[in-house]
Amino acid sequence: MTASFRKNYFGSFGSSLMTLFSLGVIGAILWALVDWGILRATFGADGTQETCQAAGGACWSVIATRWRVILFGIYPYEEQWRAGIACLVVALVIVLSCLPRLWSFGRLSMIWLIGTALFYALMRGGVFGLAAVNEQQWGGLPLTLFIFVATGVIGMPLAILLALLRRSEYRVIARVSGWIIDTIRSLPLLSILFTCAIVLPFMLPGFLIGEKLYRVLFGAALFFAAYQAEIIRGGFQGIPKGQEEAAKALGLSYVHRMTRIVLPQAFRLALPATINQFVIAFMETSLIVVVGFMELLAAGNTAFKTGEWKFAYAEVYVFIAFIYFAFVFGLSRYGAYLEARMNVGHAKD
Amino acid sequence: MDLTAPAIEITALDKFYGAYHALKSINLTVAKGEKVVICGPSGSGKSTMIRCINQLEEHNAGLIRVFGTTLDDSLGSIDEIRKEVGMVFQQFNLFPHMTVLENCTLAPMLVRKISRAEAEATAMKYLEKVRIPDQAQKFPGQLSGGQQQRVAIARALCMKPEVLLFDEPTSALDPEMIAEVLDVMVTLAQEGMTMVCVTHEMGFARKVADRVIFMDNGEIVEEADPETFFTQPKNERTRLFLSQVLGH
Repeated sequence: MTASFRKNYFGSFGSSLMTLFSLGVIGAILWALVDWGILRATFGADGTQETCQAAGGACWSVIATRWRVILFGIYPYEEQWRAGIACLVVALVIVLSCLPRLWSFGRLSMIWLIGTALFYALMRGGVFGLAAVNEQQWGGLPLTLFIFVATGVIGMPLAILLALLRRSEYRVIARVSGWIIDTIRSLPLLSILFTCAIVLPFMLPGFLIGEKLYRVLFGAALFFAAYQAEIIRGGFQGIPKGQEEAAKALGLSYVHRMTRIVLPQAFRLALPATINQFVIAFMETSLIVVVGFMELLAAGNTAFKTGEWKFAYAEVYVFIAFIYFAFVFGLSRYGAYLEARMNVGHAKD
Repeated sequence: MDLTAPAIEITALDKFYGAYHALKSINLTVAKGEKVVICGPSGSGKSTMIRCINQLEEHNAGLIRVFGTTLDDSLGSIDEIRKEVGMVFQQFNLFPHMTVLENCTLAPMLVRKISRAEAEATAMKYLEKVRIPDQAQKFPGQLSGGQQQRVAIARALCMKPEVLLFDEPTSALDPEMIAEVLDVMVTLAQEGMTMVCVTHEMGFARKVADRVIFMDNGEIVEEADPETFFTQPKNERTRLFLSQVLGH
């Protein structure tokens, strides 16, 4: 270990020089960050622009005083405890769905049904004596999580459906599904969101219009589904033809062939790309600000745009970046865990 | 299903791939308990023919009956026939994401709707029959080719089919593993299973076949009992084929 370490990093004069130089650069960057973020930083809610700038480091006071705006946006201040609990509910539902021991249709639908109902009751109110809060006032982290989760929950079944239709034996159905997928993929997400938020109400009959948030969610889910359908199709292509033939020869019905043989193998093959798609979907939640929703990033922008904190935008962005990082890094690690778990018994493949 | 009817009756079967005439007016009857070996050069249509029996290939004209049930366009008849007709493939086609035991219990539980306990008991019985009960908890990727093919046979048997179709079951195997698979097939034959077997294993044909069928160019060229087939082939094409298969 030490011998190979020495050989790899200090094998020659040039190599040693590069190693030391790189260490120096990395060290300098880390030191600057620690110095700015911790050593010379001002913590606590009593910091002001003057005290912060006198200290010369980061001004975390902006987070200490404005964190509720960043996390909850314009959700009514006295009711924000509800939004906080709603966030925990979503996080809990996500964590529970990630546990393999709960992977059965019954259990998962139970978790999601209860979770969604709880989230909605908490956020929307109007029941159990909770004051009603209109969807337009939702904001910050719960809104971001809600959009992300709903995009996945609506988008994934839609993606599976589109992918299955695209490989249908009936050519017309396969063609139509292909057109739908390719059409959605050729439109920018922003235009889809705008269409759903602003144009759709003119085209739909009154009873179908619904709340803007749900129209936008539908658009985001459709966009997700078009890309995910192609990812799943890629997974299909990696499955040998004999798999489905064997399932047919055993007498399995179409539904059983898909749910037991084809889709599990397709998802295994498509897992890295699927995790990637979810990461992108999480990042893209920040786009819905353009149709008037104050999700996490927009709420953060609001938090420092109130005169006294205008100078502290970097701190707010770092804080938001940490939140995004926590979720997305967790997602990626979970993907890696799933891959390792699925590879059990595939040593020879 | 009428178990007194012939196991398989094929009448005037035609199959086209585009303009290519793959099967030309095939007639074949297999009695219950009969073992039929089908041989012939590659591209002769032998695999296509047995794949028509369980409708992995659709035929274009002609009649296929399995125990009196006619294959028509209704999904019902296909399901009915697939329940009774098991198939073993050249490439094994085990489900790689399931253990050996799960491979064997899946279809009986979903199609025959029997309980997990019963399905597992049946699976273990047949895994013992193919002599690999100790591999039940492994995944197919952890087994050798010969072991995988024996699991595939057990998986087919777990559905308790009336007929077993074999589509070149030993062609993808390393030479040293062929015997273990053939042994299992011989045992099955001796127990009275109705078998239709596409194979180049002429030793196996001699040993267990009631009838050997030679196909070439989409037609049945010759059929006879193994003794006659191997010692006094009538057709020139059969003689050529036999000299090529047996001549080394």
